[in-house]
Amino acid sequence: MSGATILANPSASGGQVAAVPAPPPNRPRRDYVGIGLWISLAVSALIWALPFVFMFLTSVKTNADVNTAPTWHLPSVWQWVNYADAVETGDLWVTGANSLVVAVIKVPIGLLLAAAAAYALARLRFRFSKLVLAVLVAGSMVPIQVGLGPLFTTMLSLDLLDTKLGLILPYLAFGVPYQIFMLYGFFRAIPDELEESARLDGASTFRIFWQICLPLAKPALAALFILDFVATWNEYAIAATLLQSQDNWTVPLAVLSFSGQRSTEYGPLNAFIIMSAVPVLIVYLLFQRYFVAGAFSGAVKG
Amino acid sequence: MTAVHHPPAPPAPQAPPRRRSDRRFVQALPYLLPAVVLYLGFLVYPMLDAVRLSFFEWTGFRNDEPVFVGLDNYVRTFTNDPVFYRALTNSVIWVVLSLLIPMLMGLLLALALNRRMVGRNLFRSVFYIPAVFASITVAAMWRWIYNPNVGSLNQLLEAVGLASLQQEWLGDPQIALYSVFVASVWQGVGFSLVLFLAGLQQVPAELVDAARVDGANRWQVFKAVTVPALRPTTAVVTILTIINSLKVYDLIVGMTGGGPAQSTQVLALWSYQQSITNHDFGQGGAVATVLLAVSLCLVVPYLVRTLKAEEH
Repeated sequence: MSGATILANPSASGGQVAAVPAPPPNRPRRDYVGIGLWISLAVSALIWALPFVFMFLTSVKTNADVNTAPTWHLPSVWQWVNYADAVETGDLWVTGANSLVVAVIKVPIGLLLAAAAAYALARLRFRFSKLVLAVLVAGSMVPIQVGLGPLFTTMLSLDLLDTKLGLILPYLAFGVPYQIFMLYGFFRAIPDELEESARLDGASTFRIFWQICLPLAKPALAALFILDFVATWNEYAIAATLLQSQDNWTVPLAVLSFSGQRSTEYGPLNAFIIMSAVPVLIVYLLFQRYFVAGAFSGAVKG
Repeated sequence: MTAVHHPPAPPAPQAPPRRRSDRRFVQALPYLLPAVVLYLGFLVYPMLDAVRLSFFEWTGFRNDEPVFVGLDNYVRTFTNDPVFYRALTNSVIWVVLSLLIPMLMGLLLALALNRRMVGRNLFRSVFYIPAVFASITVAAMWRWIYNPNVGSLNQLLEAVGLASLQQEWLGDPQIALYSVFVASVWQGVGFSLVLFLAGLQQVPAELVDAARVDGANRWQVFKAVTVPALRPTTAVVTILTIINSLKVYDLIVGMTGGGPAQSTQVLALWSYQQSITNHDFGQGGAVATVLLAVSLCLVVPYLVRTLKAEEH
C-alpha cells in the first residue's frame, strides 16, 4: 500500500464505514463488550486531554495561585491578562508574522514545483524516471540533522544566513520530494486515453499538465497544502540552525526561548504555548479529513 | 523551455524505444529541473558534505582550512567517544520502545474506534490533535507538566497519596529519557492510530461477515481476517515508526537539550552538537555519516518494495 492509495481517498476513515457487523440476531443481549470498550476509551481520552486542561487552567492563574493550589483547581482570579503579557514579552506578532510569511511563500511554490516534477516523472516517463523518483524520496526520508552542519556553512558562504530566503530554500528541498511521491501516484492513475485525446486535439505538454493533470489532482493538492502549511509552521531544526536574530525567528524558536527564559512566569508561559498552537489547531478543525492522508507525508518530514 | 512548445507528437510505436525515451527526457527536464536543483543543492549537497567533512578536521569557521585526517574521526568516534555510544544506545532504545508502545496503542485504539459508537470523532480527535502540534510546543507543555515543584504530575502523585513516587522527571539521568519518551507517546499515538484506521477500512467486510456466519468468535475473526488484511499497513507503520524514531530531535532539544549528563543524547542531536556547538565538523560529520548509513539501510528496501508494488 503506498501513500498515494490512501491519499486518493482522503476521507477513508472519515466516518460512516463500520466494518463490524451487528451482533447476530439470535443473541439479543446487551453489547457488554461495546460498553466496556466505550468506557475504557473515554477514560483514555480523558487522560489524553488532561495536559490541555492543566495548561489552560495554569494559563489563567497568577503565580501565587500556581504555587498554593493544585493545577486542577480553578483559578481564584481569572488572570486573562497573562495572554496579553505573553504576546507582548514573547514577540508573538513578529514571530507569527515571520512564520506566516515563510509558509505563505514556501507552501504554494513547493507544491507547484512538486506537481511539475511529479508530472514529468509520472506522465513523461523516461528511461530512469523511477530511479529519479526513488533517489528524491530516499533523501527526503533521511533525518535532516545529517546535513544541518554543512547547511549552516553553505548558507553562510551564500550570505543567506538569517534571511527568509535562506530558510525557504532548504524548506523547499526537504519538503518537495515527498510531495512528488504523493502526486506521482495521483498522476499515474490518470488514464492514458485522456492524455492521448488531448494530444490529438493539439494540446501541448504544458497544457496537458496545467489544464488536465493539475485540475484532476485538486483533492491531493488541497490535502498537501494543508499538511505542508502545518509542517512548515511547526518546523524547528532548520530554523534554529539558520535563523539568528530574534527579529527573524519563527514561532517554534520563540516557544523554546520563552519556555527557557521565562519558565517561572507560569501563567504567561502556558498562555504562550497555547497561542503558538492555535493556528494549527484551527487548521486541523477546519480540514480534519485531510489529516488521514497526511499521516503519511507528515511521517517523512522533520 | 523549448520542450513546452513541442509540437503535438503522435505516439510512434515504431521508433526505437531508446530514442523516444531520450526525447521524453528532454521534454521532462524543464518540469523536473527546479525541484531537482533545489534537492541537490540544499539537501543532497549538505548531506554529502557531512560525509566529506567526516574525513577532515575543521572548526567550521570560514577563515579556517579543513585538514584531511583520513579515518581519524571515525576511530575517535568509535573508540573514544562515550557520548556517541550513549546516543547510539538511546536511539536504539527509542526505536524499540516506539515499535512496542505507541504502535501497539495505535493499533488497539484503531480497532476500538473502528466500531460505530457515540463520540467516535471526538475520541479520534483527542488522540490525534497532539500529532499536529509542533514537537517544540509539546516539549514545552511536558516540561511544564514535569516541573518538579509546581508541575501537574508531581502534584497529581501527591494528591493520590503516591508522593513517594515524585521525581525530578527531567533532572534524573536514570529516568529523563523515559520521561521524554512519554511525551513522545502522547504526541505520536495519533499517527499510528490514523494509519491503522485507514488500514482497517481495507479489511473486506464480506470476509468478516462470512467468518461470523460460520460461527467464528471475535478473536478468531481478528486472527484470521483482520490481521492478514492489516499486514501491508503494519509494514508501513513499522518502517515509518523506525524512521521517525531516528529523527527525534525537537522533543529532546525542547525538554532536556540532551542532558542531564548526556543521558538523553541521540544520534541526530549529537551530530548537530558536535558540528555546531563543539565546532568539530569532523566528528559531527562522522556521527552524521553513521546516521545516514543507518537511515538509508532502512529507507532503500522500503522504497524499492513500494515502487515495485506500484508497478502492479
